[in-house]
Amino acid sequence: MTKRPSERGICELYEQDPEAADYKIFGRVANGDRRGFLKGAGLAAMGAVVGGTIPFHRNMPSGLIPAALAEDLKDFKLTGKDGLTVLNDRPINAETPAHLLDDDITPNSRHFVRNNGIVPEKAEAMDASGWSLTVDGGVNAPLTLTLDELKSRFEVVRLALQIECGGNGRAGFNPPARGNQWTVGAVGNSVWTGVRLGDVLKAAGMKDSAVYTGHYGADPHLSGDPAKVPISRGVPIAKAMDPHTIVAFEMNGEPIPALNGFPVRVVAPGWPGSCSQKWLNRIQVRNVVHDGPKMTGQSYRVPAFNVAPGTKVDEKDFKIIESMPVKSLITSPETGQAANGRSLTVRGHAWAGDRSVSAMHVSIDFGATWIEANLMDPPNPFSWQTWQAAIAFPDKGYYEVWARATDSAGVMQPFAINWNPRGYLNNSMHRIAVQIPA
Amino acid sequence: MRASIGLIAALALGGAIGFGWGPGFSGPGFWGPGLPAAAQSADDADEWDGLAPGPGREEVYYQCRPCHSLAIVKQQRLSRRVWDEVLIWMVEEQGMPEPGAEEREAILEYLSTHFGPDIPR
Repeated sequence: MTKRPSERGICELYEQDPEAADYKIFGRVANGDRRGFLKGAGLAAMGAVVGGTIPFHRNMPSGLIPAALAEDLKDFKLTGKDGLTVLNDRPINAETPAHLLDDDITPNSRHFVRNNGIVPEKAEAMDASGWSLTVDGGVNAPLTLTLDELKSRFEVVRLALQIECGGNGRAGFNPPARGNQWTVGAVGNSVWTGVRLGDVLKAAGMKDSAVYTGHYGADPHLSGDPAKVPISRGVPIAKAMDPHTIVAFEMNGEPIPALNGFPVRVVAPGWPGSCSQKWLNRIQVRNVVHDGPKMTGQSYRVPAFNVAPGTKVDEKDFKIIESMPVKSLITSPETGQAANGRSLTVRGHAWAGDRSVSAMHVSIDFGATWIEANLMDPPNPFSWQTWQAAIAFPDKGYYEVWARATDSAGVMQPFAINWNPRGYLNNSMHRIAVQIPA
Repeated sequence: MRASIGLIAALALGGAIGFGWGPGFSGPGFWGPGLPAAAQSADDADEWDGLAPGPGREEVYYQCRPCHSLAIVKQQRLSRRVWDEVLIWMVEEQGMPEPGAEEREAILEYLSTHFGPDIPR
């Protein structure tokens, strides 16, 4: 990781005191209703930085860092990946810039990576020899399946499934939350081929006492201690039995890439990505909620009630994250691009954990008015849904496009973040900057 | 301090055995390129994987770097209280050897000073 661009200084000032940053950087003083620019002071300065006038500045909330400056992404090369931003190299963690997630089906080269341990050597070598899956614990007939047995004993399904890291969006938290500082791109929607986890559990004769699954993978712990497990999470039996929760052996018609879990992984779509154990080699049926590493404490948990930003929360008050909340991304155009004229087609994807997305809206005036986008049906449940909107801009200048999805229960994405200590579940609206020429 | 470095090194290198698919059996015990150089080098942040000079830098490097990259450390902007929680979690859950009281204080001070909530990213 090399030096960060100087714009991060601006982001930091906004994180500390947004309204003071407005004044320090742009000389901006907001109107009494905390919107717009009092007497236009600072408007020219902000316009100069974002590269144009701001036609809807009267709606712009004070203390809002312009989206033109809010993203700070650096491209690094990672084997088999294209254009991902590497957050960490041991363990490997890399996210995809929003504009590189434009495909309806995320290519293997563009799917994010969140590793907790070390990529197994045999996965690096794409060598599945000797691999097997053990199903044990609360079952009447424990199973050990080879890869061929897994593929031949059960019905094979092929589904587009979205996986999002529970900490996607953590970089937006203030006070900052510990962990990888994901911005928006720890999400992907590839076509996964595999067998239903429920079919495998049934074949093992899962007992009625079953409460939860516990998943184990072949990735060694960072410490090198063979007795330690980097991560072992699971799901309640109802989620395990959902026909869209699968044990996958192909990603987009190819063997799963080493970084994404070769040769076999769980895909439990719509739930934190950590439920989708990579390099899977054992599923234990538990008669209690699974208590493997990163199931307990504060990991993948949020307070059971809302807390003020910065609150220290007692561990007994945390609950396990299940379905991820409704969310969307603008994947075209890339933020900060100049349009060719006064009209622009904006496109992206939306998803809603266990639910589906029922409506999609965009705003070009800082949320004052909303334009309904055309929302496609998903190819199957638990796939993200593609949307698009044709926008006519009234004047030249700097605009932000905000995107807001509404799920099948009527729940919308918020503008602000519901702060929690570990920085999970940030489903606030995605914003991009657009320049409309004269 | 030196004794614990040796212990960590032995653990990490000891992990470089076995090739199976079972949990915990492979693992290259990878060392980043910076480690041997940093142990002997001049006062240059690049030699310390980007850690700025200051009291506690050496302790932070040798305590954290054996297991994971410093990229994850440098991303953080945490209060002293949360850094303290991270160190406890590292010892209790992640197998980090408990640093001595003096080293621990130096580490906590360095992390809170260089990677506190008010430090620009």
